[in-house]
Amino acid sequence: MSGTSEPQRTPGALARQLRGALAPFIGMIVVGAVFAAFAPENLGPKTWRLMLVQTVPVGLAAAGMTYVIISAGIDLSVGSVIALASVTGALTLHGGHGGEAAVLAALLTGATCGLYNGLLINVLRLPPFIATLGTMGFYRGMAKWLSGRAAVRPDDLDGLDLWLRPYPELSGAPAFLGLPIGVWVLLGVTGAAALVLRRSVFGRYTLAIGSNEATARLCGIRIGRTKLGIYTLAGALAGLAGLMTMVRLTEGDPTSALGLELDVIAAVVIGGASLSGGQGSVLGAFMGALLMTFLRNRCTAMGLPNYVQEIIVGHIIIGAVAVDQLRLRRRGS
Amino acid sequence: MTPRIPAPRLAALLLVTLLFPIGCTSETASVPAEKKAEALRVAVIPKGTTHEFWKSIHAGAIQAERELEGIEIVWQGPQREDDRAQQLALVENFTATGIDAIVLAPLDDRALVAPCQQAMGMGIPVVVIDSGLQGEMGKDFAAYVATDNYRGGQLAGENLGRILEGRGKVLLLRYDEGSASTEQREEGFVEAIRKFPGITLIDPERYAGATRDSAQREAENLLESGSYDGIFCPNESSTFGMLLALRAREMASKVRFVGFDASPGLLDALRVGQIDGLVVQNPMKMGYEGTKTAVAALRMQPFEPSVDTGVAFVTADNINDPELQPFVAPPLSEYLDE
Amino acid sequence: MSPPSAPEGEALLSMRGVHKAFGATRALVGADLDLARGEVLALIGENGAGKSTLMKVLAGALLPDGGSMTLEGRPYRPAGPLEARRAGVAMIYQELNIAPHLTVAENILLGTEPHTAGWLHRRAPRERVVAALAHLKRPDIYPDAPAGSLPPAARQLVEIARALVQDARVIVMDEPTSSLGAADIEHLFTVIEGLCAAGIGVVYISHFLEEVLRVADRYAVLRDGALVETGAVAGVTVDHLVTTMMGRRLDEMFPRVPRERGDPLLELDGLGGEPLPSGVDLTVHRGEIVGIAGLVGSGRTELLRTIFGLDPVRSGRVRVGGCAILRPTPRELLRRGVGLASEDRKEEGLALSRSIAENTTLSRLDGLTSRGLIHRGAERTAVRRWVERLAVRCEGPDQPVESLSGGNQQKVALARLLHHDVDLLLLDEPTRGIDVGSKAEIYRLIGALAAGEGEQPPKGVVVVSSSNPELLGVCDRIGVMHRGLLGPLRPAEEWSEHALTVAAVGGKE
Repeated sequence: MSGTSEPQRTPGALARQLRGALAPFIGMIVVGAVFAAFAPENLGPKTWRLMLVQTVPVGLAAAGMTYVIISAGIDLSVGSVIALASVTGALTLHGGHGGEAAVLAALLTGATCGLYNGLLINVLRLPPFIATLGTMGFYRGMAKWLSGRAAVRPDDLDGLDLWLRPYPELSGAPAFLGLPIGVWVLLGVTGAAALVLRRSVFGRYTLAIGSNEATARLCGIRIGRTKLGIYTLAGALAGLAGLMTMVRLTEGDPTSALGLELDVIAAVVIGGASLSGGQGSVLGAFMGALLMTFLRNRCTAMGLPNYVQEIIVGHIIIGAVAVDQLRLRRRGS
Repeated sequence: MTPRIPAPRLAALLLVTLLFPIGCTSETASVPAEKKAEALRVAVIPKGTTHEFWKSIHAGAIQAERELEGIEIVWQGPQREDDRAQQLALVENFTATGIDAIVLAPLDDRALVAPCQQAMGMGIPVVVIDSGLQGEMGKDFAAYVATDNYRGGQLAGENLGRILEGRGKVLLLRYDEGSASTEQREEGFVEAIRKFPGITLIDPERYAGATRDSAQREAENLLESGSYDGIFCPNESSTFGMLLALRAREMASKVRFVGFDASPGLLDALRVGQIDGLVVQNPMKMGYEGTKTAVAALRMQPFEPSVDTGVAFVTADNINDPELQPFVAPPLSEYLDE
Repeated sequence: MSPPSAPEGEALLSMRGVHKAFGATRALVGADLDLARGEVLALIGENGAGKSTLMKVLAGALLPDGGSMTLEGRPYRPAGPLEARRAGVAMIYQELNIAPHLTVAENILLGTEPHTAGWLHRRAPRERVVAALAHLKRPDIYPDAPAGSLPPAARQLVEIARALVQDARVIVMDEPTSSLGAADIEHLFTVIEGLCAAGIGVVYISHFLEEVLRVADRYAVLRDGALVETGAVAGVTVDHLVTTMMGRRLDEMFPRVPRERGDPLLELDGLGGEPLPSGVDLTVHRGEIVGIAGLVGSGRTELLRTIFGLDPVRSGRVRVGGCAILRPTPRELLRRGVGLASEDRKEEGLALSRSIAENTTLSRLDGLTSRGLIHRGAERTAVRRWVERLAVRCEGPDQPVESLSGGNQQKVALARLLHHDVDLLLLDEPTRGIDVGSKAEIYRLIGALAAGEGEQPPKGVVVVSSSNPELLGVCDRIGVMHRGLLGPLRPAEEWSEHALTVAAVGGKE
C-alpha cells in the first residue's frame, strides 16, 4: 500500500535539461580522454574540424531520427532516403538548375519520402518498423532507377562542393570562424531541432505521444497529424543529409549510405534516447554521431583494425541501452 | 531516486571504453611501437579487406616494407566493404593524423579525387593502385600502379572465343556500377569477343554487386532465365558467385567459363575443369610496386609514374608453369600471419 | 423502483433515457442521471450494471443510441472525447493517464498548451499550473518533477489538476481509491471537497460503499442498464445499497455432485505479494472447490498469480502436497501438479492465432515427441480426446483458437490443464465473457473434476469469480478478499449473496 509519499526533491527544469544534454557530452570527454591517452598525436582543432565535417550526414539524419525514436517509432529507410536525395540533388545539378534548386530538390525528396512513411503508418496502420523496412527497399530502388544504375556526376556543382571541405583554407572554400558551411548547417539544424523539441507545441506532442500515446489521444492531441509531421521532418533532414553526402562524394551515388540507418539509430540511442519512446535529446544524438566519428578517427590514428572499432561501438550501444533498462526497472519497482 | 539523469550511462561508457581499447591495443599497437619513432608511415588503403585479392596486395606492401629500410605499413580498409563515403573519410583521417604517404585503391574514380588533392596539397604523396582516379597525374596523385584492365578483358575474350571455337552464346555478368577497373575489363572483353562473328554476346546489363553472396543470387537468376555456351565474369567475387550457381545447377564444366582473378577456391575449380580459364593479375606486385613508388616519391627519388603489373591467362594445363606462380600462388604466408 | 429525485442545487448536468447496445447486449436501457453544481454523486452498481458505459457516453468516448443530455442548460452531445473536454467534462480513468516522461506541469497542460505560432509560452501557463496544484493541497508535487517519478496517488492528483486547468465543470472519477492507501484516500476526499466548493460537480464511481457514504452527497444505483434508485446519502445504510444493487435474480441451477474431501493439496501460510495480497492463509484439499469472492482489484487475481509464481512472493510460504516451495515459478508449480487458467484469455491465457492442439499440449509435450520432433498424429489423437470430453465445439484440433467462441476458448484453456494432468486447478474468472449456456457447462465440468470420475482421481479447484451466485452454486467453501486480505473460509451454505457483497465492500454484518 502506498502511503503519502515523501516530497519529491527535483532540480529546476533548466538544470535538468542541461544535465540531460550534458551527459553524452561528458561521455564524449571521457572516451576522448581515454583515446587521447593512447593516441595523443594530431588531436588539434583541425582534426576536430575534420571530424565535424565527417559527422555532417549522420548528424543531420540523427536530428530527425531523434524525433521519430522519441515518438516510439523507428525509421529504417533513412539510408535509402539519403541515397535517393543525393541522386535527385545531383540530377538537378546535372540538369543545370543550380545549387539552390539542388538543395531544394534534395529537401523535397526527403520530405516526400518521410511523408509517405507517415502515411503508411497512419493510414494503413503499419508498425513503423514494417512500413520503413518496406520503403527502405522502395527508395533504394528509386535511387538506382533515377540514376540509371550509375553514380550521377554533375559537371558543375555550383559551389556546393565547397560546403564540406575539411580544409577550407587550402581550397579557398567559404568558411565562417574556420568552419565550412556544411558544418554550420549541421550545427544550425541541431540547435533548431533541439529548440523545437523543448519549446514548441510540436515538440511537446512528440514527447507526449512517445511517453503515452493513449494519454496524448485523451488530451485531444491529433496523433496522426503529429506523426505525419515527425516522419516528414525526419525525411527532410535525411534529404539534407543526402545532399551533404552528394557534396562529399561530388556525385549522386545510388549505392551510398547502405546500412547507414543503423549508424543513425546508434547515434540517437547513444545520445540517450529510449527505443520505447518518451525520451531523447537532439544534442545527445549529435554527440552520439560525433562520438562514432571520433572513434573511427582515433582507430585510424592508432592504426587499429576496423573490427576493434566495431567491437567498441557495439559495446557502447549495448552499455547505453542496458543502463536505460536498468533505470526503467528501478523506476518501475 | 534521481530521475532522468543518465549518470550510470556515463559509468557504462567509461567502463566499456576503458576496457576495450586497452584489451585491443596491447596486441596491435605494441608491434610497431619501436619503429614508430623515426619510421615513415605509409597507409595502404584497399577497397575492402575480405577478398583474397586484397590480401595479396597487403602481402606485397609488407614485402616492400621489409625490403626498404625505415618504413612502416598501416593497412586499413573502409569499415563497410565498398563504402565510398567511409573510404573517403579514411583518406581524410590518415591525412589528418600526419601519415607520410598513401597508397590507395579508390572505390570511386571521382569521389576520391578531393581527399587525394588535399593530401597532395599537404605534401603527402598518393599512389593510386588497382583502379583509376580522375584527375591529373603528378598533381592530384603521384603515380598509378595497376593491371592493364582493358588488356585483361581482351585476354579473356580472345581465349573464351578460342575455347568455344568461335561459336555460341556468351553471357557477360558485369560487376558493379562505377567501378572503373572492372568496367575496363568488361569493355576489353566485349571488344575481343565481338571479333568472333559466330558468337552472340548476351549482355543483360546485370550487375553481380559487391559480394560473393549478391553475385551468386544474380548468377542464379541469370542461369534460370536462359542457356549459354560461355560465360565471363570480371572479378573474383562475381566469378565465385557464378561458380557456386553453376555448381548448384550441375552445370559446372558443362558451360565454358572464364573468370578474372585467382583465389584458392577458383584455382581448385580450374584444376577440376569447372572453370576453363582465369585472367590473373599480380596483386602482390601491385602492393609491392605501389608501396615502393610511394616511398620513392616521398624520398624525392626517381620513380615510374605509370606501372603496369601485368596479366596472364591461366588454364588447367599451364597452372603449374613456374613463370605463372607469382600470379596464381603468391607466397602470402611469408608475409601475412594468417 | 423509486422515481429519480432531482438534486437540490442548481442543475449542472442531466442525462435522460440514454440507450446503448453492443450487438445483442443492451448495456444501457434508458438510463437517467442528474448532477448539480458543487455536489458529489456516487454512481454505484454491480460489475456489468452499465456504469462504465454511461460514463463513456458522458465523456464522449461512446455515442449513445438514444436519449438526450444537457450540460449547464444547453443540449450536450459530444462527438468525441475532445469535444467533451472542451465542453467541460473531464474523466479521471481507473488506469492512470499520464505521460511518465513529461513533467507534472507538462502533463497538466497537455493538449491545451498556450502558444504563439507553435512556440510554447513559458511564464503565463506556469501560474495556471501552480494555481491548479494549489487546489490539490500537496506542496510536495513540484511542477518540474517528472510525472513518472510520482507515486500513483500523486499521479491521480495530477490528472485532477489537468481537469482544473482545462476548466472542467463535471469531473468523473472511476474507482479513484482502488489503488490508494488510507492516508491518500483521506487526502483525496479533502481535494474533492475543495472541488465542490469551487462549484464543480463530481461523479464518483466506487465499489467501496462505506467510502461512498462518507464522500457523496447523493447516490444513484444502476442495475441492468437503468437507474433503479437515487437519493440523498444521509441516513442510507450499506445494507440498503447492497440490496438495491443486487435486486432480484434469476436463480441459476448448479447440479451438486457428492464429493469427498481428501488430503490437502495446497497450503498457504501468510502469503504476501507486492503489494497484494497481504498475509493470506488458505488450505485447499483434494476433492473440494474453494471460491474466492471480492471486488475487482481486491487482490484475488494477484493471489493466484503469486501462488503460481507469476508475481513475486514477499512474505509467507506456499506448500504443495505438503512440500514447501521456496520460490514458486510456473514451471515448478506445473511440475508439482498445479495449473492456472488466467482471467485474461486473449492476452495471457491462450495463443489465439495457434490451433487448439498446439494450445492444449503447450505445457506438456512429453509422450508426443520422438527425437525432439513433435508427433503431429499422436498430438491430434490426444487432443481429440479432450475436445470430446469437454465438448469443445470446433471443426477439429487444428482450428485456430481465435475462431472459437469465448466458452469454447475457456474449455481449451481447461483442456490444457487437464492434458497436463494437474491435481489442483487455479481458475481466475473462468466464466468471464461467456454466454449463460457455456457458463453452466463450465461449472458442471468443474464439479465433475472435483468429484473425480472413472479412473480420474478427484482434483482440487480454486475459483475466483465476480459472480456471487455462481460461487454459491458451485463451491464447497468460500472466502472473501478485501484490500488484499482473505477473510475466513466458510461453507457455501453459510453464505448468502448479500453477505458476500457486504464482505466484499468491507462492511460488517
